[in-house]
Amino acid sequence: MNWTQSMRQRVSEKLTWDHLLPSEQPVYVSSLVYSFGVFTLSSLVICIASGIIMSAYGPTWYQDSAAGSLLRGVHFWSVQAFFFFMTMHLVGQFFMGSWREGRALTWVIGAVSFGISVIEAFTGYLSRGDFFSQWNQVQSKDAFNGAGIDGFLNILNNGQVYGLHIAVLPIILIGLVGWHLIAVRSKGVVPPYQARVLTKEGRHS
Amino acid sequence: MKPIRFSRDTLQFPQKDFDMVKEGVVSLGILTVLIVAAAAIWGAPFRPAVTNQQVALQNPIGIGQEVLGDLDGQGGIASYGPPYNNGWHGQAQSVQSFLGFSPQTWWGTPYQVNTAQADVLTPLQMLATASHDSALTAALHTYKTASYTQQQAWTSAMTNALGKATVRNGQVLLPPGHYGPVALMVNDEINLAKSGLLSGALDRETNGGVYRWNVQNDLLFLQGQVLPNIANNINMAGGQWGINHDEQAYPGPWWLTPYTFLYQIPPWSTGATGDQTAAYAMGLLFVLLILVPWIPGLNKLPKLLPVHRAIWRDWYRHLEKTNACGQCPLLASCTKEFRGHTSDQQQSTETVPSCYQPDATFAYNMNDGLRSPSMRPLRTSTD
Ligand code: HEM
Repeated sequence: MNWTQSMRQRVSEKLTWDHLLPSEQPVYVSSLVYSFGVFTLSSLVICIASGIIMSAYGPTWYQDSAAGSLLRGVHFWSVQAFFFFMTMHLVGQFFMGSWREGRALTWVIGAVSFGISVIEAFTGYLSRGDFFSQWNQVQSKDAFNGAGIDGFLNILNNGQVYGLHIAVLPIILIGLVGWHLIAVRSKGVVPPYQARVLTKEGRHS
Repeated sequence: MKPIRFSRDTLQFPQKDFDMVKEGVVSLGILTVLIVAAAAIWGAPFRPAVTNQQVALQNPIGIGQEVLGDLDGQGGIASYGPPYNNGWHGQAQSVQSFLGFSPQTWWGTPYQVNTAQADVLTPLQMLATASHDSALTAALHTYKTASYTQQQAWTSAMTNALGKATVRNGQVLLPPGHYGPVALMVNDEINLAKSGLLSGALDRETNGGVYRWNVQNDLLFLQGQVLPNIANNINMAGGQWGINHDEQAYPGPWWLTPYTFLYQIPPWSTGATGDQTAAYAMGLLFVLLILVPWIPGLNKLPKLLPVHRAIWRDWYRHLEKTNACGQCPLLASCTKEFRGHTSDQQQSTETVPSCYQPDATFAYNMNDGLRSPSMRPLRTSTD
């Protein structure tokens, strides 16, 4: 088997422009719930953009300067927005049963992204460099210890925590979100549950 | 043979114009404005970090108590156990083990903290060397060469004395007693902290002498009494939902609520292995979330709950109005929730489900963006 050939074939079958970036959607796509994913993505973009600026200037800048604290504010509120919309998105997709008809992987990638986001946010709180960071560092070392993780991840080592926050975890998260979006687009928006149908006996089924 | 799942091709449903790029750009624009405005109006929470120096100036006795705890093994870290050490003289206090399962110990002791050495003897030795302090050098020598029983006698006398000590002009005044070299050692370390140099001495240890990435020993020095007291004063302690809320009115990491909730109720709030079992309880819940599509009952729940009928109300209204499903040639497989067998799939190449078919009433009912049926020939799954 020629791997190159079969890869090309799969990609061109599954990811046509009609799938990836359609200019139309099925008519049942008609609800605010569909926008929560996009709002989540937008918040994530703002989060990453402000994060890149902050890490370019470095911790003392975002802790001490006026421009730095404004950026820290943008980063802070975009995280709040991100988690708010992600939670709404998750709940919405649950009520739509969006894992149906071959979309289970989309759900799984989404849920794993949620988990990574929680750890990402946590390492962010520890990188704030204020009392909240100090307190949560000494507090959570026991929790991480209980889980058996502290021996690998030294919560009190700012170098390790900061590296995880600005590089390792974001790269994983961006990869997962990209995969999530491709999975969504390649399957198309999940069709609604069947409508209630009036049977011959006149009952709803 | 494995049954082939019949799934509906979303491109075959009636379509309407939809501008994804515009939706994304508009959403990004609006959120940028809102978020920058929130940042400009409210800013972000920040409570300056606590330093050893501040604590020494405000509460020198508190620093003295930390020093003694580190020196005589009463402090939390002194006897913690893995990953920091094997406890104080082999007695580890903070090893969590649930039914003999203790992942905390798997890594051994990678961070090697001997608090007497790291937090007291080494910093004081550095101070003595830097200041040519022969009295301190002699005190350290006396302490190190004394028997363990003698050391414990001095430190416990000193611990009692610190409980009754007073502070005048920033100096700790002790009642008379037999403290051996320990009184001078504790006093000198308080002064070292006041000068601001103690943090540097502690950080140096966890960074191989250079840089300041790893603040482990500096933070561990404060973790026994000082940080918990401050946290308690501002309602941030664990029993007060700790991590879950940030400064004053700011929203905190509320998404950790299920986790912090566990710490409010038994067995997690009371048990010695609370951290361990809370972590694994959350891990289990997370796995359940990931597996929702396969968990019987849970994966059918949204079908039973009527919420989806509200989300897709326009669609259902249309189907009911036209009785599209009642007339559908695929009604039988449709009620099987689109999980028919091969035969159903073959059938579908000949028969078009009626919910795929846009009709005139639909164009009228739904919004203007809907393409009229004649403009979009129906595709069948054979093309
Ligand atoms: C990292 C954060 C996430 C981002 C940026 C994101 C983004 C999106 C976007 C843009 C869509 C398509 C539009 C929509 O239906 O909203 C989508 C669909 C979907 N999301 Fe997410 N999502 C995230 C997290 C999650 C989570 C936590 C879950 C659930 C556990 C999830 C499950 C789904 C599912 C099942 C779909 C498919 C919907 C369908 O096929 O109709 N996503 N996501």
